[in-house]
Amino acid sequence: MRLWRRIGAWLRALARRGRMEGEMEEELRFHLEARVEDLVRGGMEREEARRRAQMEFGGVERAKEECRDARGVNFLEGVAQDLRHAFRTLGKAPGFTAVAVLTRALGIAINATMFSLVSAYLIRRPPTYEPERVAVVSSVSPAPVFQPDAYPVSAPNYLAWRDSNRVFSAMTAADEYRTVSLTVQGQPGTPSRPEALRSAAVSVNYFSLLGVSPEFGRTFSDGEDQSGRDHVVILSHELWTRQFASDPAIVGHTVRLNRENYTVIGIMPSNFRLLGYARDLWTPLTLSAEHQTPAARKDRSLQLFGRLKPGVTVEDARAELKALGRRAEESFPESEKGWGVAVRTLPDFLIYNFGIRSGLAIVMTAVGFVLLIACGNVAGLLLTRAAGRQKELAVRISLGASRLRIARQLLTEGLVIALLGGGTGLLFAIWGVDLVRAGMTFNEEVRAVPVVLDRTVLLFALGVSVVSAVLCGLAPALKASRTDVNANLKDQSRTASASQAHSRGRTILVTAEIALALFLLIGTGLLIRGIYMLEHQALGFRSVDLLTASVTLDSAKYKDAPRQLQFVRDVIPHIESIAGVEDVVATSDLPASGPDSVSFSIKGDAEQPSSQPLSTLDSVVSVDYFRTAGIPVLKGRAFTEMDDATAPKVLVVSQEFVHRHLHDQEPLGKQIRLQVSGGTGEWSEIVGVAGDVRTYSEASRYDPEVYEPLLQRPLSSFLLMIRTTRDPSSVAPDLRGAVSQVDEELPLDRVMSMPAVIERQKRGDKLFVVLLGVFAAMALILAAIGIYALIAYSVGQRTREIGIRMALGAGRGHVLRIILWEGLKMTGIGAAIGLVPALPLPKIFESVFFDLHLREPRLYFFVPAVIFAVAMLATYVPAWRATRVDPMVALRYE
Amino acid sequence: MDKQLELLQGTLDMLILKAISLGPLHGYGILLRIQQISKDRLEIQQGSLYPALYRLEDQGWIGSEWGESDNKRKAKYYHLTAAGKRRLQTEAEKWNRMAEVIEGILRARPEEV
Repeated sequence: MRLWRRIGAWLRALARRGRMEGEMEEELRFHLEARVEDLVRGGMEREEARRRAQMEFGGVERAKEECRDARGVNFLEGVAQDLRHAFRTLGKAPGFTAVAVLTRALGIAINATMFSLVSAYLIRRPPTYEPERVAVVSSVSPAPVFQPDAYPVSAPNYLAWRDSNRVFSAMTAADEYRTVSLTVQGQPGTPSRPEALRSAAVSVNYFSLLGVSPEFGRTFSDGEDQSGRDHVVILSHELWTRQFASDPAIVGHTVRLNRENYTVIGIMPSNFRLLGYARDLWTPLTLSAEHQTPAARKDRSLQLFGRLKPGVTVEDARAELKALGRRAEESFPESEKGWGVAVRTLPDFLIYNFGIRSGLAIVMTAVGFVLLIACGNVAGLLLTRAAGRQKELAVRISLGASRLRIARQLLTEGLVIALLGGGTGLLFAIWGVDLVRAGMTFNEEVRAVPVVLDRTVLLFALGVSVVSAVLCGLAPALKASRTDVNANLKDQSRTASASQAHSRGRTILVTAEIALALFLLIGTGLLIRGIYMLEHQALGFRSVDLLTASVTLDSAKYKDAPRQLQFVRDVIPHIESIAGVEDVVATSDLPASGPDSVSFSIKGDAEQPSSQPLSTLDSVVSVDYFRTAGIPVLKGRAFTEMDDATAPKVLVVSQEFVHRHLHDQEPLGKQIRLQVSGGTGEWSEIVGVAGDVRTYSEASRYDPEVYEPLLQRPLSSFLLMIRTTRDPSSVAPDLRGAVSQVDEELPLDRVMSMPAVIERQKRGDKLFVVLLGVFAAMALILAAIGIYALIAYSVGQRTREIGIRMALGAGRGHVLRIILWEGLKMTGIGAAIGLVPALPLPKIFESVFFDLHLREPRLYFFVPAVIFAVAMLATYVPAWRATRVDPMVALRYE
Repeated sequence: MDKQLELLQGTLDMLILKAISLGPLHGYGILLRIQQISKDRLEIQQGSLYPALYRLEDQGWIGSEWGESDNKRKAKYYHLTAAGKRRLQTEAEKWNRMAEVIEGILRARPEEV
């Protein structure tokens, strides 16, 4: 309170400063005149009285100054004066100022840029009511899939848990990853063109549980999950804008989805985005009797949300749901064996779901180091300058400036540099954010999150600027305020070189900078090398000249397996008749795109413990898949038209499967049973062995894989893969035409060439490499500037010593060696310090990044060598310049 | 006239508060009143009076307003605020205690120690 009153008084005082000055003047004049009158009345000459009054009073100006001080106005005036002085002195040393400001600007720019990512992905709150009171319930898969503990839940488990839990006031389910076709009637005469859209099927209480309201219309009401009433749809703001010209009158009208008419009941606002990317539309999730069958237990596709009851913590919910999970595991071991339950709050889940936290954490750490190096440099520069200004400061102190005032002024200088740097840095950051935004397109989830320089980021940048200013400015300010007046006013230039204590602080700074730079360079070097290896690995198939497209057969027209198969049989000849098309296949997964894992058992082998079931990747492929993809069949045979629903079930396995699961025994003829949803549970015979394909194009590992023939396991959603003899993208329009000849209302989704698919999967890594490369280069440059500035300064300080040495006959080579040795010592110590924490980095990265094997011992020699080379160069230049100095000039040098 | 005593450090504030507790005064008036009460035995640096006044006003113990002096001139009059009254009281008590203690010490005879 007192402080506020004070500040208020300052401001008021400032506001009426002019008036106050006048009043003060008047008051003092009154005093003097009254005194004069009194003295005159006492019989003194007027002239004499005036003189006497003045003498008694003392210095009028000093009194005024003290009055201003007493009023507290002086502080602000002092700040203004400090600022003016800071700008003036900085303006007098443009080189120093430019280096300091730019160094700081770079540090701030990359920090603000990276923080914009953190702000966009990690800090943003989901647009729901009390999101931390919403729990997300996931399955925990026993198979080694990506994020096994965020796996969706089956419908039977959802219904059982919803009805028997005591921790949620309500539960809701969403099937977030559905594809539907929307047919918009074109102009008369032009064919209507179907469009594939991302849709989510959600329980009717989904929106009310999350606590979100529509922009127009309403959300689902009770009973709209019943067959007959379920043809209602809610559109996203984006789809509404794009397809329906933002016309609110669309509410109440029907649109054609999956060949059926749905009534639009509402529009969601544009900020409603939950799991990463925005859905285009929402329909009611209908759960019927068929969702209670044993087969439905293997169909895990629901995300579950629960609103915690008042007083219930997320830990309580976790314990309760885990118990329910165990009950399911005991009751249905056939499908639930090894599966668990995970519960997280909604914000936690969203962050985890992005899978971007650890990557961002590493990048933020790296940029933090770069900022530290930048700060170290600026602190070094300020220290150097402060040391050079000892004499000036000593003079000012002896003339009456208080030490506090001097310290404050140096701090102000630091602050001005920081704010100039921060401002410039933000300009860089605008460009940096654009760059990052352009790079963050590797998948829809990531792309859909807006990365902007918002208020949070600006506040962060300002905070970082000020904190770093204080950090950089404090050391020199403290040091300068302790200036020994006597020592500095004595003719310092008579001493041969600067004292040890002066240079120790800077030596520590530079040593620390070298250590940080080395650590950063090794870290980024490892990552860049790892990612480079991934970029250039053989994937195990021929990706060039492949065109891919995704097809989702809706249940309205293709409700059973024979109809789905018939579509594939019909469409393939149409596509094959396109000029430039060699082969066409349908497959559940593109090669090296991370197919799903399934657990399985081998006939004749002992049952595996439920905690560690055998697991393998599982793809379903049509007949000519291996030939079309260019995957060699090493043993046995590929699938033929004979392997249909009536024939005995067969499989092709990968080499890695034979190695890891069959221990390199003869694979052909072995019987295997896969635990797949919709599977018959029959034994299948291995008839062939195919070459290994990487599990992910962006990772280095091979996992065991099995291939099932499409004829024996039909799919409603699959990808077309087309081997072409011309540029695949030029085939795309013909492909759409061929498909519409078979089914006019069936949309094709994600039509792109295989290299484009791979590129998309790798996109994030590339951005990462660019970012890390930039950081590493900046760390090196900044460290070099730091080393150069320090050595140049200390050599400058020793010009006199060097002059004496040379006047006494020391050779240039000798002097050069002395200075280089000093730089070498500092670099050596710094490098050794930086090397220690860098040693365990490969292990750390491997645990953080999904499968990134980093074995690059050469880096541990190469990086220190680069650091030494740069440090030596930064030392050599000033040292060389020092030895060029004429001894006579050096001796007079001050 | 006896030789004037120099003011002990920190006592000027108290004297100012006391002087205007007897009625509002302008700066010069405060000076005169202190000299009058002390029978001219205290020497007050005139130049240090005003900074003290400004400080006391800034701390809220005294207030000021412009008025007219006896010889019809515009002058700034200071008066004690409520906080100032309390302040004066505590200062005076502190001072009296201090004086007592010091007096006791100075009166101490060897046999009492």
